[in-house]
Amino acid sequence: MAEARERHGWKWLLCTPALIVLVAAASGPLMIVVAYSFLTPGNMGGVEWDFTLEAWFRVFFRRDIFDPDAITLNQAHLGVFGRSVLLSLQTTLLCAVLGFPTAWFIATRPPSSRTLWLFLITIPFWTNLLIRTFAIQEVIRNNGTINAVLTGLGVIDSPLQMMYTDFAILLGMAYVFLPLMVLPLYAAMDKLDFRLVEAGYDLYASRVQVLWHVILPLVKPGFIAGSILVFIPSIGAYVTPRVLGGGRTMMLGNLIALQFGQGRNWPLGAALAMLMLIIVVGALIFYLRWANREEARNV
Amino acid sequence: MGSTGAGVSEPTETGTVEIVIRDLSKIFGQGAAAFHALSDIDLEIRTGEFFTLLGPSGCGKTTLLRVIAGFEQPSTGSLGINGKEVAGLGPNARPVNTVFQNYALFPHMTVAQNIGFGLKMQGRPRSEVEATTDEMLRLVKMEAMAERKPSEISGGQQQRVALARALAPRPRVLLLDEPLSALDLKLRKEMQGELKRLQTETGITFIFVTHDQEEALTMSDRIAVMSAGRILQLGSPHEIYHAPSERFVADFIGDTNFLDLPVASVDGSQATVTLPGGKETAARLPQGYLPVLGETVTTVIRPEQAQTVAPGQGDMDGVVENAVFFGTDTHVHLRLDDGQPFILRRQNIAEAREPAPGTRLGLTLSPGALRVLKG
Repeated sequence: MAEARERHGWKWLLCTPALIVLVAAASGPLMIVVAYSFLTPGNMGGVEWDFTLEAWFRVFFRRDIFDPDAITLNQAHLGVFGRSVLLSLQTTLLCAVLGFPTAWFIATRPPSSRTLWLFLITIPFWTNLLIRTFAIQEVIRNNGTINAVLTGLGVIDSPLQMMYTDFAILLGMAYVFLPLMVLPLYAAMDKLDFRLVEAGYDLYASRVQVLWHVILPLVKPGFIAGSILVFIPSIGAYVTPRVLGGGRTMMLGNLIALQFGQGRNWPLGAALAMLMLIIVVGALIFYLRWANREEARNV
Repeated sequence: MGSTGAGVSEPTETGTVEIVIRDLSKIFGQGAAAFHALSDIDLEIRTGEFFTLLGPSGCGKTTLLRVIAGFEQPSTGSLGINGKEVAGLGPNARPVNTVFQNYALFPHMTVAQNIGFGLKMQGRPRSEVEATTDEMLRLVKMEAMAERKPSEISGGQQQRVALARALAPRPRVLLLDEPLSALDLKLRKEMQGELKRLQTETGITFIFVTHDQEEALTMSDRIAVMSAGRILQLGSPHEIYHAPSERFVADFIGDTNFLDLPVASVDGSQATVTLPGGKETAARLPQGYLPVLGETVTTVIRPEQAQTVAPGQGDMDGVVENAVFFGTDTHVHLRLDDGQPFILRRQNIAEAREPAPGTRLGLTLSPGALRVLKG
């Protein structure tokens, strides 16, 4: 028994290759970002090795150029944070609303044709994100498909301004991330015992009541996984807001890229990146706690 | 109930009719791929009856149950429950509840929530839901498990909860789809008694689907034997067992001896047939069937409806091929003089030795036991 335990104790050594990759590829760069956020920006980009909290200060506040003691909240940054969180939440919600019927449709097909439907869902992944985003631009720009059709039908006189709005970003992100919601939802529905749906109908529940009391609680794990998979890349999205939002409506990802590029303020970029990480982890913990509390309440 | 005398046919039973099914059929698929799951079903089920649909898998019994429940709509024909036509209505609009084969308890709800679900969906006040749930928990002796999840109770307990959940809204008819098939033998016997008790206590009409003929015989007031989407015979357990209308029914229910025998004479509802060895005996004819003299007909007799005597002293003789000891009885496999096989069931009243292979035995058939099957 003791011998067995001893041998068991050494087994973790087999994980060392994976551990090395994790430490080197994930924790290492993260540590560098953390370190950079406390340094002084170099003149031509890069960092000077002088410790300062200036970058973290500038994430939230700004100093008047002429009067260094006049400190105000950094409205521009806070606006970007707010918009990023809001747009990501909206994207998640939109994906859930669109993804549920889609996943349900696939899950209720005969098993032989489900593979085809799942294949169709994954097809967009085969095309480069940038190309897909430009394709959306083609559809919604002022002389694009939608406006051309609506003008041609005489529904509108002047083209609708959809490009370079939050709506365009929301549409683009929902389009790009929808499969990430559909697939876990499908996985949850695939495991759903449809006799439970029948049992619900049998016990006098209406369609809406069956959906609410039987189906939704049982596919909740799919919603949780899908929401996490959609929310996290949404909040750091770079390409979609860049192409569809133009320069005017920035998201967190664009703001960070700006600091490492034209802004030449690597510490500020690093601090913003850390902030994003904190938002994501915070949201995740809050969400999982809430989901678990729901679970516990049902027990 | 209590209306099923031995071997007496009662086509016009007084008492209200709960379910009326007329010319009902169910066809899955279309054209060449069409599958007739149910054909020409005509059936009346009485109020408060324990009614069993019995047949092998694929015979249509579960489809018929699902049509009554509302999960499937009939392709043709009518279905009335308590005098109201329900074909076309969904399961939530019928005063019928189902106990599913694998129980289909909601895994995210407690036992109590499962039982109260139907009442809650009917919009009953919370106090009534709670009171009825408590009553049902007592009825199936599951009070102690009220707050457990279905995954935290045993199969037999899940069975009770499924029953309580289906009974809680006080349906007019309870449908049971092979509810005992997942239980082990001892528990199954226990639940058979329990089901019968619940049916008597609640007075609700039970429609029970099973492929287990013993279960059907012990529990039912009436049985419908089904095969290939049709009802072959409808009657009390006694009628089904002692007077099977066709070879399939006789073969499916219990052990049966089939003997092909020539007809010597016909007299009304009775024929005289010649047994192997030349002796003649009376055999009952089914209604509306008159065989031609000299024609060979198939007769049936149950293995327990023959007794052994000394060779030459009985109706016919047979040679023992082997004997199988079952504890309460012994099955003796014989070969008759004309080569037909015959199984004899001997009660082990005394601690008698099994007859050795090759032993010649005389057989006396119980009077009136031999029946002719429709050609």
